[in-house]
Amino acid sequence: MPLVIFVDDSETALASTRMVTNSMPLEVKQYTEAQVALAEIKAGMTPDLIITDLNMPVMNGFEFLKELRAVAATSRTPTLMLTTETKPELKQQGKALGLTGWIVKPFNPAQLKQAITRVLRLPA
Amino acid sequence: MLMLDSINQLLSHIKDVQVDVIDLSNESLMKMSNFMEKNNLEIDDEISTALQYQDIITQQLNASIETIESMKKSIDMFSHAYKNDAGLAEESISKLQAKLSVTLAEAKDKKSRFSGRFSASDAEDEIEFF
Repeated sequence: MPLVIFVDDSETALASTRMVTNSMPLEVKQYTEAQVALAEIKAGMTPDLIITDLNMPVMNGFEFLKELRAVAATSRTPTLMLTTETKPELKQQGKALGLTGWIVKPFNPAQLKQAITRVLRLPA
Repeated sequence: MLMLDSINQLLSHIKDVQVDVIDLSNESLMKMSNFMEKNNLEIDDEISTALQYQDIITQQLNASIETIESMKKSIDMFSHAYKNDAGLAEESISKLQAKLSVTLAEAKDKKSRFSGRFSASDAEDEIEFF
């Protein structure tokens, strides 16, 4: 099964995404700190899709994305930003850093499911 | 400046209340969410959105806590300057006013930024692929 990792400093936000992914054929790992997820990636974890929040303490979503792109195993891993931020300049910044897409909170569960299905090319 | 000390104490109190509200709303949502997961209860779009409100509430309250901390810091600086040299009070008041204006602008920006689709004009366009 494809491995999807979620990174969000909010436990409640992670719980909301779990309710979407529970019914999908995925292995899911969740992290409240980007630096912890990054350490596991550097130790050999190879996610098929990364979904991360932007505003997080210690390491924000853009810093995390930069680090991911510097690691060979995740240099091209599809990565979605899941955030309350809607500013076009932030989306452009994400795009320039190699982001795959931008999802604005609160997300629609069916649309999040479709986005994951699309990126991972799962059977619809 | 006893008045400023009182304002700072009030701000500290408001901050403490907001921290408690964040903790309580987190705990409340996690209990509901754990119950739903444990019992394999399916949720519809409306309930999912309602559950996500908590995350937005937390972000908004955290942003207002940052605003309060910034106000307290500005007031402390003014109070310190005034105590050391009352003659500088007028200049310090102008600086305080300027800092509070900046704090207000930043607070308004954060309110907008952390509202997600509630403040976006293109609310339907929630997922964008690059």
